[in-house]
Amino acid sequence: MYDRIALMLSQAQRVVSVAGMVLCVAVLMVAGTDSAASTQQSGLVDVGLVVFDPGIPADQSTHSQRGIFPDIRKAEAKYMPVVLRQVLIESGDWGVVRVLPEVLDSSELLVTGIILQSDGLRLQLRINARDASGVEWLNRVYSGSTRSTDYPASVPGDPYLGLYQQIADDLAAVLRQKNAKQLTTIQDIALMRYAIQLAPTVFGSYLTQTPEGRYVLVRFPAEGDPMLARVIRIRNQEYLFIDTVDEQYERLSEEMAPTYNLWRQYGAEQAIYQGEYQERVASRGAQGRRGSFTALEQSYNTYKWSKIHEQDLVELALGFNNEVAPTVMDVSGAVVELSGTLDSQYSEWRDILQRIFTLETGLPPAS
Amino acid sequence: MNRSPAQLSAAVTVFVVYILLAGCASAPVEKPRLQRENLQAVNFSGSWEMDYSLSDSTQEKLDVMARDLNRQAQRRAQSEGRRRPVGAEMMVRNTAGPNSGSSVLGLARMADLITQSPLLEIHQDTHKISVKREEDFSLTCEFYPGEMHKVETPFGTEICGWNGHQLVFELRLPEGLSIQHIITMGAAGQKLLIATTVVSSQVSFPFSLNRVYNRFEPGESGFQCQETLTRGRVCTTESR
Repeated sequence: MYDRIALMLSQAQRVVSVAGMVLCVAVLMVAGTDSAASTQQSGLVDVGLVVFDPGIPADQSTHSQRGIFPDIRKAEAKYMPVVLRQVLIESGDWGVVRVLPEVLDSSELLVTGIILQSDGLRLQLRINARDASGVEWLNRVYSGSTRSTDYPASVPGDPYLGLYQQIADDLAAVLRQKNAKQLTTIQDIALMRYAIQLAPTVFGSYLTQTPEGRYVLVRFPAEGDPMLARVIRIRNQEYLFIDTVDEQYERLSEEMAPTYNLWRQYGAEQAIYQGEYQERVASRGAQGRRGSFTALEQSYNTYKWSKIHEQDLVELALGFNNEVAPTVMDVSGAVVELSGTLDSQYSEWRDILQRIFTLETGLPPAS
Repeated sequence: MNRSPAQLSAAVTVFVVYILLAGCASAPVEKPRLQRENLQAVNFSGSWEMDYSLSDSTQEKLDVMARDLNRQAQRRAQSEGRRRPVGAEMMVRNTAGPNSGSSVLGLARMADLITQSPLLEIHQDTHKISVKREEDFSLTCEFYPGEMHKVETPFGTEICGWNGHQLVFELRLPEGLSIQHIITMGAAGQKLLIATTVVSSQVSFPFSLNRVYNRFEPGESGFQCQETLTRGRVCTTESR
């Protein structure tokens, strides 16, 4: 008798526990269900653009020689993906395009970039794009150069818009080679990769990985699978966080654009001036007799003016940092805060899903 | 004029510091050996203004050099059995060619020209130094262990680094002109000596000028200013 009561109590406790968990997850995700549109609903592939690698050599002693201003590069690494994002959105070829603070493995199409060279005259980026199944779409270096007519640059707009357009065109070309089934598979794999991160015990067997690192879909959960529905809701909730992070990058880009455009314009003018100065100096002969004050002064002044122009650029870089650093710091702080919140939320979600799964199946939790 | 013991003591101290500094830097004919380990020995950061009373007079230095060159020429003439130096050996002759009057004068004027900056603003951190000179370009150097800072451009070559407690800048320019600045700080950290040596391929003697600078605190304006790109110099009344 007491045993039956204990058993009934235990079952009731289990039901209440499951209901509590479900309610908790439901409450947690109610906002995410509608507002963050699921990728699969639209049929378009979502793109994750990771903040670029600024390409700053570890050897600090080479920076000045290579004309690299590390703080400017770090700001550019956040600025450039936002420009590419805008171009991809305007093409209409893609689903949601987000700028991510770090690699999100479960992105349907993940685009990463390294800044190889960036100044007012030339931009060189290495761009890599890989879909969720591990297939590489793009891995090449893009170069762009400016003309004097590109400055002053208008906002919105970018002197290197052609380079970003080329990246978008190349991505679209690969996209057009894929049929609808292939694209759906990519989206399904992306969802499964995300689900495996959340509940490896439940979804681990749905995907396999080839020795080359490709992901192959073995099977897919049935329509209406409650566990998958929870995962989708959690993913939508996560997208809400990412969209907030993305807004921060957009804010940085908007606030930085006028200063950054001016910096590139000055940089381009300086480089053109230096080139012309070199030509002028090379073509003019020595003004005085060798060893005379006139000759010595000419030699010194030539060097002096080339140094003064070079040092002007350093002063301009300082002016850029003074102006942009507070926004960069503010945005970086907000991103760290949001990412931190997301990390703790993510760990909470994983824990809840694991407990629901354990309660539903009675299987022991994964170690 | 009677001087108080304190004034005398201060004057003697300044004189001794000057002699010591000058002693450190006025043997520049021998090339300082720059240390490859590039360890920073002294922090020169601060604002400095030229002390004209302790700095060399270009005219006096030129006179000394002219005397030395003439004496040398005479000695050479005597050893060769001639009674007077001839041709290009005679520095005072105002003709073209090595050691000619105009070449020596050109060298002295050059030394004077490049050491005229009355104010210096020095910023130094872990890896670099910038010596901002009024009316001239900044002398800059980077310090990374195991490598000398060398910059080569179509207009000249710069090498810099530490020689013990002295910071050495060397500039090699076309027309056989080379310039060396050796920066030394006084013991109390209130005086700075820049010994500049200018060498021309047309003069057999280098020409050196010592410039002494005193540390000073720039006046508090009550504003805090910084350069920006779009708005120029922006100042606020925030205290530092």
